[in-house]
Amino acid sequence: MKVALKIWRSGAGGDRALREYELDAPEWVTLLDVLDLVKDKVDGSLAYRKSCRMMICGSCGMRMDGAAVLACKTRMYDIAMSGHVPVISPMGNLPVVKDLVVDMQPFWAKFRAVDPYLRDEGPAPEQEHRISQERMNAIHKESLCINCGCCVSECNAMESSPEFLGPQALAKAMRFVGDPRDGAQHARLEALNGEHGVWECTRCYFCTERCPKGVDPRDAIAKLGAESIAQGIDRDLGAKHAKWFVTSARTTGWLRETELVPKTQGVVESIRQARFALELRKHGKVPPPFPPHVAKDVRQSELLHELVSLQGRAGYAGIVQGERGLERHALGVGEGARDPYGPGSFPRPFVAPDPEPEEGAAA
Amino acid sequence: MKTVAYYKGCLASLSAKELDTSTQALAPKVGLDLVELESVTCCGAGDIHEAEPDYYLHLNARILAWASDTGADTLLTVCNVCTLNLRQANWQLLNDAELRDRVNRNLEAVGVPPYERDVDVRHLLWEVSEGDGWERLKVAAHKGLKGLRVAPFYGCQILRPSKVLGFEDPDRPSSLERIIQACGGEAVDYPAKLKCCGFPIIQAREETALGELVQPIEQAKDAGADVMVTPCPLCHLSLDAWQSKLKAATGRDYGLPVLHLSQLIGVAAGLPDSELQFRRHVVPVEPALEKLRFEA
Repeated sequence: MKVALKIWRSGAGGDRALREYELDAPEWVTLLDVLDLVKDKVDGSLAYRKSCRMMICGSCGMRMDGAAVLACKTRMYDIAMSGHVPVISPMGNLPVVKDLVVDMQPFWAKFRAVDPYLRDEGPAPEQEHRISQERMNAIHKESLCINCGCCVSECNAMESSPEFLGPQALAKAMRFVGDPRDGAQHARLEALNGEHGVWECTRCYFCTERCPKGVDPRDAIAKLGAESIAQGIDRDLGAKHAKWFVTSARTTGWLRETELVPKTQGVVESIRQARFALELRKHGKVPPPFPPHVAKDVRQSELLHELVSLQGRAGYAGIVQGERGLERHALGVGEGARDPYGPGSFPRPFVAPDPEPEEGAAA
Repeated sequence: MKTVAYYKGCLASLSAKELDTSTQALAPKVGLDLVELESVTCCGAGDIHEAEPDYYLHLNARILAWASDTGADTLLTVCNVCTLNLRQANWQLLNDAELRDRVNRNLEAVGVPPYERDVDVRHLLWEVSEGDGWERLKVAAHKGLKGLRVAPFYGCQILRPSKVLGFEDPDRPSSLERIIQACGGEAVDYPAKLKCCGFPIIQAREETALGELVQPIEQAKDAGADVMVTPCPLCHLSLDAWQSKLKAATGRDYGLPVLHLSQLIGVAAGLPDSELQFRRHVVPVEPALEKLRFEA
């Protein structure tokens, strides 16, 4: 079949050019195979990383039509058949070295910063650790990471704040925080609650959407937040903000927005923000605190809080318990489950939609 | 008419009442009969999920249970964050009988009916961009938005994670564009329409959040948008109310009015000002809509 693609080429001088390539390829090719063909037959100067060709080494992360993919996981058949010419570019949030190769140093620096190895702080154990399957299941997803950088490429918070630890390092951190053999859980959480840690995540879910291995970094970050709060590490504004939602839900039912700024940021900051708040108040964005707006039957919500507090699922255990149902849904098991091979599943090549009939616009 | 259990959420109940009034006024025109849920609370907005996740699950199960109790098959939301939180809890419960049993026992212990009959959680955007709602929308939007250039802003949590949301391709969504066109407006395209508005960290990390917020506002403005539309009241709060803070950072006064989805359709459907309530917006909306009056 004929396969065409456009590649953003760039050199050391920072000059960029979008070049189009078209060649014959077998129907089974992946994006990586096509790049190999381009390099072999058309232009030997094309630069990209690769190694295993089977989704385990994490080398060939790049962007197709603006979305990070593993080139070796992306089949070209549907794309070629639709006539679409995809644009291939290097990953985002990392400096470009040449063509599709990015400098991974900032990535590895953050990876190293979370101590990605077991820390046994106590006396040496006398025998091997014996751990139940259930305990390991809690960090199963986080253990799947192959360090490809697809999540980091797309992280919206890192675009705005490049120092943010980011989804890969935080997911890796959760892999050790949740490991019963690790002896430094509390110290790890303390370190992860810094300026550019857990609470800088903006919940855009790009990491979870793009991860080619199902690591679900956003979920891992939520687990770190929940575990921090359960262990009393709640000095960050983000943690205070999250805790205030709990107070609101069990006392008035609805979020008491008037109190959100003083509760999250403290009284001094709320005075500094007074002019901004006044502008919001003018437009009814700040409802008056009295009488408080209280949801009907809110006592049920308070009682539920008391009840579940006694049931031992504080911290990340509260998130892990829901993963089974979510995964069954995502993998197409059970009622209402989606088709894992249907629209929205991975790999997700672009297929040009059928042209829609002209819709009658409003008269 | 389709009867749905209507879950307003915090914003439409308090600081974004204009979202509630315009949704209530629009509903009958697009074939929706709203049964408003009263004995419900905040969904936790992702924050309770990150603070006390077990409580998050129970709060959302309680909302689902009361929705199921109305007899409706659909729980209608008007907020991305509510949609994600409720759908996530729903999939967790529907696909894990053991978990659902435990949650139901807790619900019954505090006087909430157990969540037994399944409901589907759907956003207003989905109801009016396909099926019967879509057919009715095309008729209802008779006044049109001729000549109005509208920038669609999806917001994250109606697209991602797609395994929980799953309504449309998270990288190439088209529901907002189709609605804008059906209302007679012109959809403006720009790259940041799928990105984050910064709202979840706008208090804890304001600088990082504003660095995100500036992208859609600036790109939409540069692409010639008269107004922006979003299906999420949290994005709305960030895009509308925090827009003034961008001026200090960039020196540019964008003045881009941001409409809730129900307001945009509401304008095309001729809803009165008393239901649209544009006076509740921080960036004035009227000047942009003047364009429609002159061309009408």
